Amino acid sequence: MTRDDQTRKAAYAALGWLVVGAFMLPFLWMVLGSFKTTVDFLSYPPVWVFSPTLVNYRQVFGDNAFVRYLLNSLIVAGGATAIGLALGIPAAYALARWRRTAMGIALLAARMAPGIAFLIPLFVLFLQLHLVGSYASLIASHLIFTLPLTVWMMVGFIEAVPVEIEQSALIDGCSIPVMLLRIVVPLTAQGIAATSILAFIASWNNFLFALVLANEQTKTLPVAVLGYIGYTSIQWGTLMAASCIITMPVVVLALCVQKYIVRGLIAGAVSG
Amino acid sequence: MLPALLALALIMAFPLLFLVFMSCHKWSMVGYAPPSFIGLANFAALADDERFIASLWRTLYFAALGLASNIPLGFAIALLLGEDFPTRNILRALLILPMVATPVAMGLVWVVMLDPSLGVVRYLLGFLGISSPPLWLSDAGWVVPTLVAVDAWMWTPMVTVICMAGLAALPVEPFEAAMVDGASTWQRFRHVTLPLMLPTLVVAAMLRVMDLLKVIDIVYVMTGGGPGHASETINLYNYLVALSYDKIGYGAAVALVLFALVLVCSVALARMRRAP
Repeated sequence: MTRDDQTRKAAYAALGWLVVGAFMLPFLWMVLGSFKTTVDFLSYPPVWVFSPTLVNYRQVFGDNAFVRYLLNSLIVAGGATAIGLALGIPAAYALARWRRTAMGIALLAARMAPGIAFLIPLFVLFLQLHLVGSYASLIASHLIFTLPLTVWMMVGFIEAVPVEIEQSALIDGCSIPVMLLRIVVPLTAQGIAATSILAFIASWNNFLFALVLANEQTKTLPVAVLGYIGYTSIQWGTLMAASCIITMPVVVLALCVQKYIVRGLIAGAVSG
Repeated sequence: MLPALLALALIMAFPLLFLVFMSCHKWSMVGYAPPSFIGLANFAALADDERFIASLWRTLYFAALGLASNIPLGFAIALLLGEDFPTRNILRALLILPMVATPVAMGLVWVVMLDPSLGVVRYLLGFLGISSPPLWLSDAGWVVPTLVAVDAWMWTPMVTVICMAGLAALPVEPFEAAMVDGASTWQRFRHVTLPLMLPTLVVAAMLRVMDLLKVIDIVYVMTGGGPGHASETINLYNYLVALSYDKIGYGAAVALVLFALVLVCSVALARMRRAP
């Protein structure tokens, strides 16, 4: 390697860190803010070095309601992911083996449809069924995006499974569901893991559906966090601590499935 | 397998069919008046709804600003991170964080950062010699560009990730030929990289435009559509009309128009892929 090359690489690295560093600023500010006292939070010019306090986190976790919302988020995202897989894997299998194009068009349409187009009818339906505010209504509504996401991801993984293995299992007398469970699921385990993580993230981050369909007892974290902005005062430090707690799980999960992120996003892992 | 496919079709199609049905009715949840069929009157009323028209133009403005900023910036970052230098994989990993972090939480963090008197954004701009920046979210003229910037922070990385995948899949031969012909770096970019990347850029633009036209979460959280209605996008107006003002049928009509808008804009972009 020549000296020129080295200088160029160093320049690229410096520029890269500068650009990506700028993108990381909100995360840095959120984490710093979550450890600040109100006085530090409200000082200008902003303080970068200060004696950190855990008071914000203590306040968030001391609040029983917050723990409840955390559980709600886990229940809804877990449920929407699990049911999405249970319905999505067989559907993906059927589509992977027969009708690729039709599925592509249908999923693209689902990708374009605004969430509100599903939310309005579902709200009316759940109201008639007296289900508004229930976990069932939240989980069912989140299927609107976890299901297409699961199908889209899984079709790709299932196509990579050699048809011969499936056929020999069928010839040996396996029924299709048994063959799916014994052959296809184990062979696509990694893909299933990636898919569930992306579906979980999509459901965890969803705001609008929970805003409309959840009640005081069942609301999920993105809706609950708005509660820190009161009419009279805003608890800034607590708000930042709560934001950190909400964001942390998805950030960690996303880093585990880095290489599948693009495919997930194309399928609409996150959208209005 | 058939039951699973059926369930899939039912879950996705039933709400949309119900939505079409609702859009032809005067429909409200409060009170005892049953829904009454009014044909296309809801759609006709949209043409006279100034708040709707304004939100429509505002949304198009939002999407145009978003595309104009996200695509060049995302592509530029992809070119940079496509170069081979140490720590590049760490940077690539970090760059996915803005798009997976919970939008509501990050929107609130941005509200804090953009605070006109205490915000860190004001502080940092001071270093660039900008001593009296605009009021960002409380200024009717600045609120949309500011929201576009926050949206760009979240979603430019997606354009980058898509472009990096596209760059990695480009054939080598055209570049070698250009080198042999003595093309400069700029000429290689302009006449080889750019045309070869055009399909990828169109895909990125399509995905972006679908989400830009539907923007709601950050708007709801950061401004609630204000000041006044200065940042009210169609999706937010749609939410308010249908679920706050209880005009369900009318809201259904708005939702269908929004759906159609997304469809038309993405198809228009898709056609660009063949045209140039």
